[in-house]
This record gives sequence, structure tokens and C-alpha cells, in this order.
Amino acid sequence: MGRIALVLRLVLADVRRHRAQAAMLLLAVTAATATMALGLSLGGATQRLYEQTRAATAGPDVVALAPDPGPAVAPALASLAHAPEVVAHNGPYRIVYATLTAHGSASLVVVHGAAETPGTVDRPLVTSGHWVRAGGAVLERGFATALGARVGDRVTISGRSFPVVGIAVTAATSIFPWAPQIGPGGGPSDGGGLVWLTRSDAQALASRDLPVTVALDLKLRDPDATQAFIDAHRHIFTTKVNFSSWQFKADQDAVMLRTTQPVLVVGSWLLSFLSITGVAALAAGRATEQTRRAGLLKAVGATPGLIAAVLLTEYLALALLADALGLVLARLAEPAIASPTASRIGGVGGPTGTVIVATAALAVVVAALSALRPTLRAVRTATVTALTVTAHRPRHRPRLTALSALLPTPLLLGLRLTARRPGRAVLHACSTAVTLIAITALLIYDAQPRWGPAQHREGWGPGLSGVPDLQADHDGRLLLAVSIALIALATVNTVTLTWTTAMEARANMAVARTLGATPGQISAGLSVAQLLPALPGAVAGVPLGILLCGETTTFPFSWIAAAALVILLATTALTALPARLAARRSVAQTLSAEAT
Amino acid sequence: MNVANAAVRVHGLVKNHGRGQGRVRAVDEVDLEVPEGQTLAVMGPSGCGKSTLLHLLGGLERPSAGEVWLAGRRVDTLSERALARLRRRSVGFVFQAFHLMEELSAAENVELPALLAGRSRREAKRRANLLLDRVGLADRGRHLPSQLSGGQRQRVAIARALANEPLVVLADEPTGNLDSAATRDVLRIFEELRSAGQTLVIVTHDERVAATADRLISMRDGMFVDDTRLAGSATGWLGGLIGLEG
Repeated sequence: MGRIALVLRLVLADVRRHRAQAAMLLLAVTAATATMALGLSLGGATQRLYEQTRAATAGPDVVALAPDPGPAVAPALASLAHAPEVVAHNGPYRIVYATLTAHGSASLVVVHGAAETPGTVDRPLVTSGHWVRAGGAVLERGFATALGARVGDRVTISGRSFPVVGIAVTAATSIFPWAPQIGPGGGPSDGGGLVWLTRSDAQALASRDLPVTVALDLKLRDPDATQAFIDAHRHIFTTKVNFSSWQFKADQDAVMLRTTQPVLVVGSWLLSFLSITGVAALAAGRATEQTRRAGLLKAVGATPGLIAAVLLTEYLALALLADALGLVLARLAEPAIASPTASRIGGVGGPTGTVIVATAALAVVVAALSALRPTLRAVRTATVTALTVTAHRPRHRPRLTALSALLPTPLLLGLRLTARRPGRAVLHACSTAVTLIAITALLIYDAQPRWGPAQHREGWGPGLSGVPDLQADHDGRLLLAVSIALIALATVNTVTLTWTTAMEARANMAVARTLGATPGQISAGLSVAQLLPALPGAVAGVPLGILLCGETTTFPFSWIAAAALVILLATTALTALPARLAARRSVAQTLSAEAT
Repeated sequence: MNVANAAVRVHGLVKNHGRGQGRVRAVDEVDLEVPEGQTLAVMGPSGCGKSTLLHLLGGLERPSAGEVWLAGRRVDTLSERALARLRRRSVGFVFQAFHLMEELSAAENVELPALLAGRSRREAKRRANLLLDRVGLADRGRHLPSQLSGGQRQRVAIARALANEPLVVLADEPTGNLDSAATRDVLRIFEELRSAGQTLVIVTHDERVAATADRLISMRDGMFVDDTRLAGSATGWLGGLIGLEG
């Protein structure tokens, strides 16, 4: 117990002394674990949301859709309603394919002719206003959100104006914009919103020569036996009947997030990599101090095991705390991310055990990769050596030295500084590459032409625009958020790497000052030392970002080239301040400190 | 003394460290002229302000008050950039801790000031080889500092200080980390420099080193307490120095 208390006291003391570093570790690992938790949770989350909506709205197990008008439809649907596997049904009811305009926006819609008092199957849950009445329209919540419509607004459905009397959710259709399920005549659907009108209003609408499908909601004795029911009834009618099971709708919900999940999962890998880069750079910058600290602890009788525990516990504890924070953040953000359309209700239930284990493993890996090497070095160094340890001694690189001698002073200094820590240069190059990967992906994603769902193929005419493509907008926002997180971490890394480089090279730079290098040349040299690895990083990041995007139809070359240039300029600007601050240190003081 | 011939001149030089009650006057109202070609030794106990004086002369620190002139030009008012250029051209430093760049070979260390001064690589290399030969390390040019003895490292540092043919070489405890044999080697080089007319200011608390100078200033509490011209050194005979044989 005494040993644990001692380890904790030493860890706390060190964290207090290095608050900025602790904060950076927390921030970086929190971002990585939150993103990973979100990415891993999404699959199950959509399923849970659908199931909760289905339970709350008495969702049907199977919906039968008869797209062809004719006398055979009614008997076919009646035989389905009375099939032995069926315990309850709703309908038949009309689905009218129409268009809706409101607030200058237009959309394809399907209008369900609904009973004013819902039965036992498919009881849409009204989340705002009240259920449908004659002359009033109820909008499906996901569609209303995309349209920006509220209760009390007026909408025009294929030329007739209706007040919005309510907003509701249902499990009988797929989420917006896939509410139609099938198109007119049983063909492919262009997507669209869902509106409920009374049966008589829907009938009046249908009389305007609009395409109609007749639908029947079915509740089965065995809700899991939908496929067997569909197989048994698929081809027995003289009219075409399409079936849609509740499992299909649940899967369709996940399709909305099909492109979201890779953004989050790949984003979490990139964020983890940047976390390791930044924290490892900080840890390496403190390696000499940590080794001295280990020497002091050894001198007063600490065992190597205790020293390793002290050094590793600090990183592990902070990383696990960040993991917990990341999970909380993911839990808070998950409802919005897992249900971008607002078509579903309920909670997402929080991270599963697998997600918790995966993020904890990520946090431990970040901590271990960041701290293991300095810890091993500190533990292995002999006590006396540890107490007198000096900064890292770089390797002699005669060719590079000879090459740099041909260059102007800032490049000469920069190249030699880069060569002092090749590992760090590689990390910086990778950090820049990761940033360019994210930005390239974002630019390519943004540049792709999209044919949004619920759009009229011949356009909407003057003064009208389509409803937003929620899936594209959602993915775009997430990609932007992940990119911002990546850029923020890369920015912190660049500043950290420059400062660490500057601190490690301060003796050499002070000597260079005594030999006649100006402060400007020193700070330019430090900036060049960061810019040199950033260049290949930028060059590698662009093709990697293109590869990550897969097939694209439009390639915004000029934007990507500009982004690469901006990143390099930003690196120069970001390194200028720490480099300038480092170059302002008193030469005499630096040399005196190094000599003692 | 002819002011125009003074390589280094300071007037009313003051340097304070710290603020308020913790303020320490490291250099206190010092006046000094070092003619060209003179070897000046500054002695005194630890903390008396010797090293600070040297830093002020080389423009590594700025005085709190007073003036510093190098080769007839006032330098304490110059910008950092101008000071750096001045150091490049006119000042060579030799430190007790050598301060060589560990990742560069001896020759590359010596080349560096010439490269910083904008000389070509070939010219810098030629000059470095010449200087290494002069300090007796022609065959050690490719060695890293870690592969050299303390005395050899200090000789590399002296060669580096001479790379741009400076007006004055400022040496801060140049033998402080050396044994007797290495000290003798270094002093022999200083004697050669003195004979060649190189202006030298050497801060030391080693009497054997001070004895090689033309002039000896004693410092205490930031002030000069004695200024003596040494006749013995004029012979340039190092063998007579106390305790350096063997």
C-alpha cells in the first residue's frame, strides 16, 4: 500500500509540474478515443434506435405494397390480411406519389392516407402538434427537420395547401429520404419525404392523376419469421406485390451511416497516430530530465520496478482518464451522429463492452508507445550516469554536413537540426501527411457532384430548391469535425516539435550565435528544420488522401495544391513563434547552464 | 595609450543581474582598453564577474550601463543582428566547456564560422585544415569531439575561434577542464598567437595561464583591483612557467 501511495504521490507531483504536457495528452487521447468509440458504436446504435421506434409505434412486421392499379389488388391484400401467420393489420391504405413545397424548398413525397384513429398496427408517435385531421397534414419528423417545417406552417402538396398540424415518427417506412420504399409502378424510388393526410384527403389528391400504390401493414404471429412469410406469398398473386420487412428497414437505417462509420474509424486511427506523435515528442523532449529523475530515485533507494511504475503510471493514468472522457463525449454525441435524420426516437444505450475494451486498448497503446522508450532508458541507465546525463548526442552525418555546407545559413542550420533527430523528422513528416490526408479527403468529398434523394429529375423550377441531402451533409459535417480535430492536433504537434527541437538544440544554437549566426538565422533555421520534413509529408499526404477517398468523379486539383501550400506556409508560421522565442534566450546563460 | 589602436575599449561598464533586493552587480563601473596585439589575463575568484565581463566584451550580454567599443566602433548599442555580424568578423570565443558540436567532426566544427560568414565550402575547408594543422591536429580533422581528449577538443575550439581571423579572441577559463599536459599545449598555442600579434583576452583563475599574458587585471566584486604589466611573458618562453613541465 505504501509503495502505491508513493507512486501516486510522485506521479501527482510530476503532473503538477508538467500541466501543459498532461493537458495535451488528455486532449489528444480524448479526441482519439471519442472518435473511435463513436465509429465502433454506430452499427448497433441504428439498430437500437429502430427497435425503440418500432416498439413505441407498434411498427408492422411486414408492409405489402401493391403498385399496379386494378381489380386484383383488393383481393390480394385481403388474402394477405387473413393469412394464418397474420395476427393484425392496418389498411389497405393509399400511398400517393406527390410533390411538396414549403419555405421555397421542394421535395418528392409519398402521402399516406391514414385513419384519424390509428389501429393496433402502425400507430405513428406524434412528437409535436396532433394526429391527422381533415384538411391538415402531419409531416414525418426526419422530413420536417430537413424541410425546416414546424406545426402551424403551411405546405403545398401537388398544388393544394395544407396546414401542418403535427409531426410524427413511424417504423412502417424507412427513414427520410427513403420513405417511398418503391417508386411509382413498383419501379425504383427517387426517395422523398412522408406526409400523412386523412384517407379522404389522400383520395382527393390521388384523383389528380398522381401515381398511387396501395399498402397494407401486417403484424405476424412470429415477428422474426418475416422472410418465410414473404417467400410463401411472393408469387401467388395475379398482381404485383412488393414486401418490406422490419429487418430490411432496420438495415436501411444503417445504410444512412454506411459512409459515416469509415470516416470515424479511419479518423480515430489518424487521431491516435497524431496523439502518439505529439506525446512521444513531448516525452522525448523530457527524456533527459526523466533519466535524471530516475537517477535521483535510484540514488535514494528506489528499485527499477518502482521507477518504471512511476514513469509509466503517469502516462497510463492520464491516457485512461482521457479514455473515460472520450467515452463520455462519444455517449453525448452518439444520438446526433447515429440518427442524423431525426426519423427515429429513443436512446442509443452507450458504448458496449467491446467498445470500452477497444478504446481502453487504444489509450494504453498511446501511453505505452509514448512512454516506453524514455522509461526503459531511464530504468536501464546506471545511477551515476543518469545523474550526469546530458542531452541526446546525435550521430555524425558527414555527407549531409558537407551538403549543408553548400547552403545558405538558415538552410545549413535547418538541415543539420533535422539530421540531429531523424526519428522526430519522420514523425513530423507523418503528422503533416495525416493533415493533408484529412484535408484532401475533405476537399474531394466536397467537390463531388451529388444527385440528392427526393429531387425531381427535371428540376424544381425557378425559386425552388431541393431539400438538403442529409446523408451527404451529415458525412460532410463529420468529415469536417474530424479534419478540424486532426488539424488542431497537428498544429499542437508542430508547435511541440519545434519547441522540443529548439530546447534540445539550444546549446548548439547558442554556440552558433557566438560564431556569428544572427537570431534571425537561428529562428529561420529552426523553422526550416520543421519545414524540411513537412515537405515530403505534404507530398505523401495528397496521394494517400486520394486513395482513401476511393473512386471520385471530380478531382479539385487546384484546391488540393493550394491546401498543401497553405499547410507548408502554416507550418512555417507556426514554427516561427517558438523558434523566435527560443532564439531570444540569452546566449551567455544558455552556455553557462550547459557548462554546469 | 592610443585609443585608435585599442582593439577593445570599455568605459563605465556596469552589468546587473536580477532585480530589486535580489539584484547583484556583476560588473561595477569598469574602464578598460586593450591595445591590438596585447594578451590580457583577467583573474579573480569565482563569481567576481570575470566571465560576465568577457560576455559583455563579445556582445553575448548587454551592459546595464557604460560603453563597449571594438576596433573603434561602439557595439553595445548595436542590434542583435549587427552584433552577430560583428562577432562573425571580429570576435573568436574559447570556452572552458569547449562547446563543440558533438555531431560534427573536428574539421567541420572549425569550418562552421567561415560558412556562417558566407565563405565557400572550399575556402572554409582550406582554412579549417590550415588551422587544425596550426594547433597540431591535422590528423584529427575527421574525428568527432567525443573521440578527442579534452586538450584536443580545446585546441579544436581555438582553431574554430580563429576561423574568421578575428580582431580579438576571448577565452573563458580555457584550461579549466584540462590537465597539465593539455594546458601546456593550449598555452603554447596562445603564445604563438600572441607572437603573431593576435589580441587575446583570457579569463582565468589559473596563475600559470595568467603568467603568459602581457598584462594582468585582478577582479573582485565586479571591479578591477589591480592592473599589472607582466615583463616575463615578453620573452615568450613558456618553459619557465610554474609547474607545467611534466
